[in-house]
Amino acid sequence: MKIRKKYLFYALAFTSSIIAALLSGIDVILENYLKNPWVLGLSIFYFGVLMSFIFSLILSIPYKGKSLGARTIDPTFSRIRLLRKEELKYHLLAGAGNAILTVGYFALLIIIKDPSVVLPFSQLVILYLITIESVTEKNTPTLVEVQSSIIVTFGAILGSISLSGTISLEALAIVFLIINPGWVLLSINQRKLKMMKVDKKPNDAINIRLWNVTFACLFTAIFALTFDYYNGTNNFINAIYASINQFGWLILVGIGTFFSFVFYIRALGIGKASVTQAVKSSVIIFTIPVSIALAYFGFIDPITADPILILIKVMGIILMILGIVSFALTLIKAYIFIKMKPGYPIEETMQKLWGIHGVNRVTAVAGEYDFIIKVRTRTLVKGYERILQKIESIEGIKEYKWQSVLKEWEDI
Amino acid sequence: MRPGDSNRAINEMRKIENIRKISVVTGEYDIVIRVEVKTLDKLLDVTDKIQMIKGVNKTTTQVIEKEIAL
Repeated sequence: MKIRKKYLFYALAFTSSIIAALLSGIDVILENYLKNPWVLGLSIFYFGVLMSFIFSLILSIPYKGKSLGARTIDPTFSRIRLLRKEELKYHLLAGAGNAILTVGYFALLIIIKDPSVVLPFSQLVILYLITIESVTEKNTPTLVEVQSSIIVTFGAILGSISLSGTISLEALAIVFLIINPGWVLLSINQRKLKMMKVDKKPNDAINIRLWNVTFACLFTAIFALTFDYYNGTNNFINAIYASINQFGWLILVGIGTFFSFVFYIRALGIGKASVTQAVKSSVIIFTIPVSIALAYFGFIDPITADPILILIKVMGIILMILGIVSFALTLIKAYIFIKMKPGYPIEETMQKLWGIHGVNRVTAVAGEYDFIIKVRTRTLVKGYERILQKIESIEGIKEYKWQSVLKEWEDI
Repeated sequence: MRPGDSNRAINEMRKIENIRKISVVTGEYDIVIRVEVKTLDKLLDVTDKIQMIKGVNKTTTQVIEKEIAL
């Protein structure tokens, strides 16, 4: 089956955020029982590893020549596998990022409690991502990208206004110094992993998630043990007791997180990290019903019905949606077919083409043309100035054809 | 492509096996299709099926020798 690439991307990212919003509700319920970020983080990771392992095993079961995972979630998945040496570095970094993010998130949840306040602040990570992408991914942000990320940011700030309490400085520090940098570390390395080829096939989301959660658990355990050692606390042991006592909720969190992440990683493989993050920020919309439900059942303070606060929150959400939409709709893609003059080295030209800003695939082909490259740009002017002019300046190029992509379908 | 047939033709192409990606483009060509096959024999199957679709005037095939991608 082939569906429009755009829809697939949105479907994946939105499903991931709906699951994430529901999870945030369960987190609050758990937080009511276990009032310590280390215990919460560790017990969730213990189950996370267990659940991911079980699911990856189930998804590895072959059915009519293909594994269940390949049929349902990620077509590049074949079966559960061990880590490759070249993946290790990225998995270590992504795991550390996830561990930092998770413990920070629970520390924040314990201070603020209301998920519809906690989650919007975590979305500010998009600013970090735009900056890092500009530096590392040979891509300077365009006006649209800067505008959209500012809109999303302001939307997140307005949307995070609590309907029941206020925000504290301590909480802000946790958001900016712990949670968001953790997210960036996780997000960028996960994308690198997804882009990697393992055994000449694209890396699959299921194995990435399984190994990520394993490393995150390991790092959280190391951090918790170090913390215990210096402070004389007993978090590591308490987390084991907690995982036995809160069995039911933890299993739910384990299953939910696994699928939320697998969908998210799969979306990352399709879109840019900052765009995926933008779509995933819709999670704050979905946390509002979750917060209302939590308040109704008495897990958090009741929601005050101050119309001004509600108005501001709604405005924030509208801004965020606007930002997300303009992010997604302003990407222009094109193929450029290139013919070379004889007598110029292919390999060298390939590297030169690859070095151009905005080029994200270079293919050397046999046939009428010598190269087909795929480019992505936010404006045609930029496409001309930054891409075509650079191509014209490469020696040995005889002829090129720019073919703008109007519509695209992809095999899922 | 012959003008007027593109929508129906694309729908038929979407049913062909081994096609990974279909992009409708502007410029000299109308459609760019990415195919992944195990053998050149299977490639012939795919190009054959594409050429059988009504409205397809001309196809040209480029075999990937090497690729760098993000």
